[in-house]
Amino acid sequence: MEKKVFIEKFREALEIKSAAMDENTALKSIDGYDSMSVMAIIALVDELFSKRLTAKQLAEVNNVKSLMELIGPENFS
Amino acid sequence: MKIEYYLPEKIFSNSDLESAFPEWNAGKVEEKVGIRERHVVGQNETALDLAYHACEKLLAGEDREQVDFLILCTQSPDYFLPTSACILQDRLKLPKNCGAFDFNLGCSGFIYGLAISKGLLLAGIAKKILLVMAETYSRHMHQDDRADRSIFGDASAAVLLDAGDAGNIGEFELGTDGSGWKNLIVEAGAMRRKTDPELKPSQDENGNFASANHLYMNGQEIFNFTIENVPAMISKVLEKNHCGIEDVKYVIPHQANKYMLEYLRKKMKIPAEKYHNDILLTGNTVSSTIPIGLKDSIDKGTIKPGDKILLAGFGVGYSWGAVVLDIGFREKNQL
Repeated sequence: MEKKVFIEKFREALEIKSAAMDENTALKSIDGYDSMSVMAIIALVDELFSKRLTAKQLAEVNNVKSLMELIGPENFS
Repeated sequence: MKIEYYLPEKIFSNSDLESAFPEWNAGKVEEKVGIRERHVVGQNETALDLAYHACEKLLAGEDREQVDFLILCTQSPDYFLPTSACILQDRLKLPKNCGAFDFNLGCSGFIYGLAISKGLLLAGIAKKILLVMAETYSRHMHQDDRADRSIFGDASAAVLLDAGDAGNIGEFELGTDGSGWKNLIVEAGAMRRKTDPELKPSQDENGNFASANHLYMNGQEIFNFTIENVPAMISKVLEKNHCGIEDVKYVIPHQANKYMLEYLRKKMKIPAEKYHNDILLTGNTVSSTIPIGLKDSIDKGTIKPGDKILLAGFGVGYSWGAVVLDIGFREKNQL
């Protein structure tokens, strides 16, 4: 999957309105980012990659870049 | 199968939630989690009290001398001993030739209760079973645990089952994965770890307060668990019952939260009109969510006699179970 496509799907899944979000944006700085957002990430990663990320792994995800690294860089172009 | 349920009088609404936690967006709770109100027990009310009320509702107009087995599913018994079902037998003035026991399950409780009941009825060990779910997670939660207080509600649901009902209950798919035991737990207060009044609650990364004395739920791990196990369980239970989703009129999964349920529905490709997803006015009542959903669906006419339905419970333990059953024909307005 193209990185920019994933970032767009990520924004959609988490209902992020700010246009300024990119792969380096700190997730915790996003307005309204909460435990429901983490559920949305779990759902998104399952839907797109059939992968399961543990709560512990997700706690260490700071931005979309580190999320993509966790999912596996081979999944992105 | 005759069903009734009872919700305690006290309501904890989203406005109450916002008053208690001003920084918490209660609108989001309704929108994403699907809950506007939950009923919670008063200080001196227990799951057994709720069970009593649900059973009294159910037994109105019934000959309670016919009941020869009472099964209570609860994780909040009045005492470690004696068995709460024994106390309930007495309070309900059920005959003394009635068997009675408790079993300790949560979200999967109703499915396991149906499995046990089917066995007892088909073996001729019981002729008329009063199966009751009763839960008070509110009594286990810390006052400052806004996440769990948003989600859980207290309730009891009771069903009467006879041999005819047993004949309508199909095959089960049951499962357990105890490696998930820590993800929904009240750690202290039973035999492994004593309650420690000195324990100070700590805050997790989601801002929820809990100590070992109180309910702790790792929602994210539970979500992972359901994604991993629920679709597979549904496929297997359909296979065991020699039917496909197209043969099933309605699916009632354990009503944990709207978001998770909707994700599972899409993943399993179950049409929305065949899928129950409604905890707006009850919250997640643990073992009662399925019988409450069943009763409401029957009352609304969503489910009618002759319909095939699929019930699926999953959660604390981890424990899961699903069954396909036919809604039988009954005299009067019973189902």
